[in-house]
Amino acid sequence: MNHFAIATTDIDPAALAGGLRQPDAGGFCAFEGWVRNSNEGKPVDGLAYEAYVELAVAEGERIVAEAIARYGVSDACCVHRTGNLKIGDIAVWVGASAPHRDEAFRACRYIIDEIKHRLPIWKKERYVTGESDWVACMHTYREHEHEHEHGHGAHRHHAHHHHAPAAPSFAPDYSRQLRLREVGEAGQAKLAAARVLVIGAGGLGAPAISYLAGAGVGTLGIVDGDRLEASNLHRQTIYSAADVGGLKAELAARRVAELNPAVKVRTFVEPLHAGNAVETFGQFDLVLECTDDMRSRYLSSDAAVLSGTPLVLASVYQYEGQLQVVEAKPGTPCLRCLWPQEPAPGVAGSCAASGVLGPVPGVLGTMQAMEALKILLGLPRPDDHALLLFNLLDHGVQRLPLDAACGCARRGGCAEVARRAIVAAQAGEAADLAFGSLAEALAAGYALVDVREAEEIDAEPLDAPARHIPSAEVEARAGELGRQPVLLVCASGRRSGHAARLLRARGLGNVYSLAGGVAALRLGERVAG
Amino acid sequence: MTTVNLQYYAQLREQAGSSGERVDTAAVSLRGLYEELRARHGFSLDADALKVAVNTEFSDWERPLRDGDTVVFIPPVAGG
Repeated sequence: MNHFAIATTDIDPAALAGGLRQPDAGGFCAFEGWVRNSNEGKPVDGLAYEAYVELAVAEGERIVAEAIARYGVSDACCVHRTGNLKIGDIAVWVGASAPHRDEAFRACRYIIDEIKHRLPIWKKERYVTGESDWVACMHTYREHEHEHEHGHGAHRHHAHHHHAPAAPSFAPDYSRQLRLREVGEAGQAKLAAARVLVIGAGGLGAPAISYLAGAGVGTLGIVDGDRLEASNLHRQTIYSAADVGGLKAELAARRVAELNPAVKVRTFVEPLHAGNAVETFGQFDLVLECTDDMRSRYLSSDAAVLSGTPLVLASVYQYEGQLQVVEAKPGTPCLRCLWPQEPAPGVAGSCAASGVLGPVPGVLGTMQAMEALKILLGLPRPDDHALLLFNLLDHGVQRLPLDAACGCARRGGCAEVARRAIVAAQAGEAADLAFGSLAEALAAGYALVDVREAEEIDAEPLDAPARHIPSAEVEARAGELGRQPVLLVCASGRRSGHAARLLRARGLGNVYSLAGGVAALRLGERVAG
Repeated sequence: MTTVNLQYYAQLREQAGSSGERVDTAAVSLRGLYEELRARHGFSLDADALKVAVNTEFSDWERPLRDGDTVVFIPPVAGG
């Protein structure tokens, strides 16, 4: 024992290396993890590690023992720091001595990969800007999972079965896809290194997330600001009845961890907006747009074009689906090449308003996962670009080739069109205001205008005085709004937001939209209560 | 008169009450055809909110109609 330690002060590599000297050892190798000055493009000026020490030490000992048994090395040890570290400090030290170099290298690699993956250690990065972030120290790519064989007959998974509890040391088995000639070990390594963002963990997102996690995509980002509702379950079958009320991004992350613990998940519990979409897309290799929100779909197309990140779009209507891959390369079509302007909310239909049968988003979301894997693996794909239409009632499939020259090219090109749209959307986002209650909005001096339809208002009246102007009439009746600041209210914030942006574009800068609509107020009450 | 085959998707299918039909039309362009159908079926969408494809290729709204054309009107959909 005592092959693993948590240190609260500087690590002394020479002393650790000296401790590994054994008469049968022909050499030793070491790995040092250092604190670097940046993380994902942000300058870092130091960090702090925190560990669940008892568990970390027990698991650390197990990992080193596994490495010794697995590779037959003479000795091995590992020390991990906690506390405050500055740039250049040694955060973790791993060493292994062995009769031959190969085992020493492999044991070292095994230990650092497993340490990163299994130890309950978190780091807090202090950015130069003064912010800081806690980052779970989880790692995805483990070299030993990709070994065919090695010198000591310890087959893949062998050591796990003997030395570690089942859950934390689960080793994914990708043999069924590795067997495909086009995938193989090289393809699997590409997937392990890939970062895929899934926007929307609903009917499309649920199957997409499952298949990407199952395939071993290294990092999955999941964006969803909604909480699970019972009405979601017929088509979002990764969730359970007991999950209702939970944040979908977090529920989906939990599901991924259950399905494939090797996948690292980043959750975003707020929808992306024009101010951060391009930057967020830039942190991923590929994005799947799986929301039921037209505005999000257009924002995703714009962000894909501007960040050069390929995007797989899908959407459904009742028994039909549409699928489009935006390559985000010059000369290839985007969503705006097809339909230049985002249609008004309500025009494009939604699952809530139009109805949908669960397998329809199931099929389309699965196709999105398929397209994503094809792109990541470099599998054969058609040379041209197309919009695909599926009718699952009559099995009708239409593949309509898209000619980029007939789209945005006529309006300055996709990039120019996207840039203008993002600028306009950023201006429009200033129109969204969040309030905990309508009373707060009244107290702040806003006049309320309910833009819902009469039957919606009857079903759920506002608990504050408001004028009623249906969203379709707001623009024509703008003269009735007066000079006072106006807060438009609808069920979800979509129609009111669209109306506010239309009015602002006409120079009415005093018009705002209640972010999240009546649903957000209801949620606020539930959380408060 | 020109005889064309029509296919409807999403809201248009719902509003037309069928996924397709064969019609004889006096319209000379796709735009004219859509306006004629819009009046008949009460389509809520403007032509400018749609894409139109003829014989499995996207087309300009001003394209003249020919006998036997298969015309598909496609609105953007947002469900997920």
